[in-house]
Amino acid sequence: MVNPVLLIVVPLGLAFAIPLFGFISKRIEKYIPTVAMLFNLIVSLLLIPKALQQPIVVSIGGFPPPFCINLVAGPVGILFSAIIALVGLLVSIYALDYIKEGAATEKYHTLYLLLLVGATGVVLTGDIFNLFVFFEILCISSYALVAYSGDKAGIESAVKYLIQGTIGSALLLIAIALLYGLFGTLNMADIARNIDSVSPISVFVPLVLFITGLGVEAAIFPLNAWLPDAHSSAPSSISAILSGIAIEVGIYAVARVVFTIFGAQSIFLFLVFLGLVTLLIGEMCAFSQRNIKRLLAYSSIGQIGLILFALGIATHSGVVGGLFQIIAHTLSKALLFLTVGYMIYRTGSLEISTLEGMGRRMPLTSLAFTIGAFSLVGLPPFAGFPSKFLIVRAALITQEPLFVVLIALVLLGTIIEGAYFLRIIQVLYFKGTQEHKSTNAQVKREEAPIIALIPIFILMLLILIIGIYPKLVTGVLNSAAGEFLNRIEYIKAVLG
Amino acid sequence: MRRIISILLLGIVALGIILSISKIPFGIPKSKVGKFYIDNGVKETGATNIVTSVVVNYRGFDTLGEVTILFIAALGLGAVLSTRKNKVERKIEPASLILRTGCRFLFPLILLFGTYIFIHGHLTPGGGFQGGAIIASAFLLIYLGCRERRISERGTKLIESLGGLIFVVVGLAGLVISGYFLRNFLPKGIPNLLFSGGIIPIIYIAIGFKVGSELAGIIDNLMEESG
Amino acid sequence: MIYYLGAFGLIFIGLYIVLVKHNLIKVIIGLSILDTGINLFLISIGFVKKGTAPIFSRPGLKAIRMVDPVPQALVLTAIVIGVAVLALALSLAIRLYQHYGTLNLRKIKEQKW
Repeated sequence: MVNPVLLIVVPLGLAFAIPLFGFISKRIEKYIPTVAMLFNLIVSLLLIPKALQQPIVVSIGGFPPPFCINLVAGPVGILFSAIIALVGLLVSIYALDYIKEGAATEKYHTLYLLLLVGATGVVLTGDIFNLFVFFEILCISSYALVAYSGDKAGIESAVKYLIQGTIGSALLLIAIALLYGLFGTLNMADIARNIDSVSPISVFVPLVLFITGLGVEAAIFPLNAWLPDAHSSAPSSISAILSGIAIEVGIYAVARVVFTIFGAQSIFLFLVFLGLVTLLIGEMCAFSQRNIKRLLAYSSIGQIGLILFALGIATHSGVVGGLFQIIAHTLSKALLFLTVGYMIYRTGSLEISTLEGMGRRMPLTSLAFTIGAFSLVGLPPFAGFPSKFLIVRAALITQEPLFVVLIALVLLGTIIEGAYFLRIIQVLYFKGTQEHKSTNAQVKREEAPIIALIPIFILMLLILIIGIYPKLVTGVLNSAAGEFLNRIEYIKAVLG
Repeated sequence: MRRIISILLLGIVALGIILSISKIPFGIPKSKVGKFYIDNGVKETGATNIVTSVVVNYRGFDTLGEVTILFIAALGLGAVLSTRKNKVERKIEPASLILRTGCRFLFPLILLFGTYIFIHGHLTPGGGFQGGAIIASAFLLIYLGCRERRISERGTKLIESLGGLIFVVVGLAGLVISGYFLRNFLPKGIPNLLFSGGIIPIIYIAIGFKVGSELAGIIDNLMEESG
Repeated sequence: MIYYLGAFGLIFIGLYIVLVKHNLIKVIIGLSILDTGINLFLISIGFVKKGTAPIFSRPGLKAIRMVDPVPQALVLTAIVIGVAVLALALSLAIRLYQHYGTLNLRKIKEQKW
C-alpha cells in the first residue's frame, strides 16, 4: 500500500528540484509538472479501493494522533486528489505549447506545480493549522500566476485579488486562534469530539469567521468581487486551473469545516439561501457580458452557488449531487477555458462578436466548446445532466414546500445559463457565414496545435463517458457523502 | 459613506470577537497538547528548546509548507519583476570610504552570528528562519554600503533548491527507514550538546541556508528595479 | 488582559486602513499591521502568568511553569507567511505604478463591468 504522504511530498520535491534541472538543460523544465501529476494520478487511482473501505490515517512524525499532524485520506480526499491530478495533468500538457518561451517560463511551471501541491494538501489534511498553511500555498501561487502575463489588466486584477485574499486569510487565522484558545488542540477530529463541551454561542463566532475566510477563495456571494477580474485576466491555462480547482477546493474546505468540525445543523438553511443568491447573481451578470472570459468567470460564480445549494441541503442525495456537480463543473469549465484560450489567441481579442465564424476556422475546437457548454447547462448525454438531475431530485425528496420554491429558482438560473451559452454557440457557427460566402472555399482551417488538442479531446471523452455511465463515479461519491455526513465515523477513524 | 459602513462592520466584528474571547481565560495553562510537549519533548526528540522540537519535529509538516511559501514568494517576485523591457542604466554613486570599509568589516561578523543562531537552534532560542534573516541582512548591508557588488543569481538559485531538496529528502529517508514521514531516525544523543536532537540540526541548517539565500535573492531583485 | 486589548487594537486599525484608505502603499502597510495584530493575539493566548520560556537550559531543570510552546510555533509560520505576501504585494505595486502612473486605487479601475 502506498503512503498518501507521497501525493504531497513527491510533487513538492520535484518542484524544489526544477531549478536544478534547469542547470542541466533548460528544455526539460516544462515536462516536470506533467511527470509529477501523472505520478499523483496513478497513486490516487491505486489508493481508491483501500480508501473506500476505511479512511487511511497517516501521522507525520510517528506520534499518536492528537499530538501530531495527520493526513486523512478518506473517499473525499482521494476523490478530490484524483480530480486535481487529472485536470492538472491535462492543463500542463496544454501549457507545453500555450505558454511561450520567455525569461521566466521555469517560474511559471514551478508556481503551477506548487499550486497543485497546495490544493492536494488542503484536501488531504486533518489539522486546521495545516489546512491554513496549504491554503496559503494555493492562494499565494494563484496571486503570482494571475500576474504572470505582466500586462495592465493582469497586474490590476492580481492586486485586488491579493488584498481581498489576504483579508480572508487573516480572518481564517483569527478563527484558528479562537479555536485553539477554546479547545487546546489543533486536530480536526479532536475538536470535533469536544465541540459540544462549550456553549454554542462561543463557537458561533469562529464558525462565521471560518466561512468568511474560506469563502473569499470559494467565491461565495458578497466575497467574490475579485473573481471576474482575476479569472479573465489570467492566461487561459491558469483560468482553467483557478475555475476548475481553486474554487472547488475552497468549497471543499467550507464543507469540511461545517460538516465535520462543527457539525452545525442550524447553519445549513443559511448556506442554502447563500448558494441560491450566488447562483442567481452569477447567472444574471453573465447574461449581460460581452467579454468571453468574463462571461465564463461569472458562470463559475453561478456554478459555485449551485454546489453550495446542493451541499447545504445536507441529505445524502444532496451531498452526492453537490459532489457530482463539482466533478462536472471542473471538467466542463476546464474544457471551456482551454478552447477559448486558442480562439482568443487566433483572433487577438476577447469580445464575443469577434468569434464569428470560428465554427469553420477551428472546427474541432468549436465542437469542444459546444460540448463543454452543453454539459455545463445540463443537457442529456453529457456529464452535467446526471448531476443537475440528482440535485433537483434531492431537493424534491425533502418534501418541504420551501425547497420546491427554491428549486424552481435554481431552474430559472439554469434557463438563463442556457440562453447565454446558446447565444455564443450561435455566434460561433451561424453568424459570419454571410460575409464569408464569397471566400467559402478558401476559409483557412487554422486549428489549434496537436499538443493542445490532446487534453481537449480527453476532456470531451470524459464528459461523454461520465454522462452516459454515471454509475462509474457514483460508487465513490456515495462513500464520500457518507464521510461528510457521518462525523462519528471520522472521529473514530482518526482517534480510535 | 464608505467610512461609516466600514466602521459599522468593524464594530459588529469587534463585538463578536470580544464575546468569544471572554470565554478564553488569560494566563492559565489551558492546552493539553502544550503540556504533553513540555513534559515529553526532551525525551522524545532530544532537543532542549521545546519550541524548536514543536516546529521541526511534531509539526514539521507546517514548516515544510512555510518553506514552500517563501519559495513561492521569491519566484513570484522574480516573475513579476522580470518583465521589464527597458533597463535604464543609472549611474551608481560610490559610497564614502568609512561606509565601505565598515560594511566590509561587519559583513563576516554578521554572517557568523547568523550561522551561530541557526546551528544552535535546538539549544537556545533561534533557529533556521531567524538565522536566515540575519544572513540576508548582512547581504543587504553590502548592497547599501559597497554598491557595485551583486550576488550571483545562479548561486542563490542553487542554494535555494538544495536547501529545500535536503528537507524533503530527510523526510523521505525517515519514511523509507521507519514508515513515517519526518520521523526522527538519527540517534538523539545527550541533551544540551551540539550534536543532539537527531535530524533537527540538519533540517535547521538546510532551512537557514535556504532562507538566507532566498531573502538575499528578493533584495537583489528589488535593488535591480531601482537601478 | 491588556495583551488581548492591544492585539485587537492592532487588528482593527489594520482592517480599518485596508477598508478605507485609497493609496496602495497605505493599504499594504495596513495588511502588515493586521498580520502583526493577529500574531500578537496568537501568542497572548498561550501566555501563562509567571511562566518562563520553554527551554531546558540546564540538565535536570524541572518544568515548573512554562509558557505554551505551540502558539509560538504557529506564529513563526504566520510571520513568514506575512512576509511572503508583503514581498509579492510590493512587487505588484511597483509594476502597477509603472503601468498606470498613480497609486490611487480609485483611479485604477480599468476593469469595468
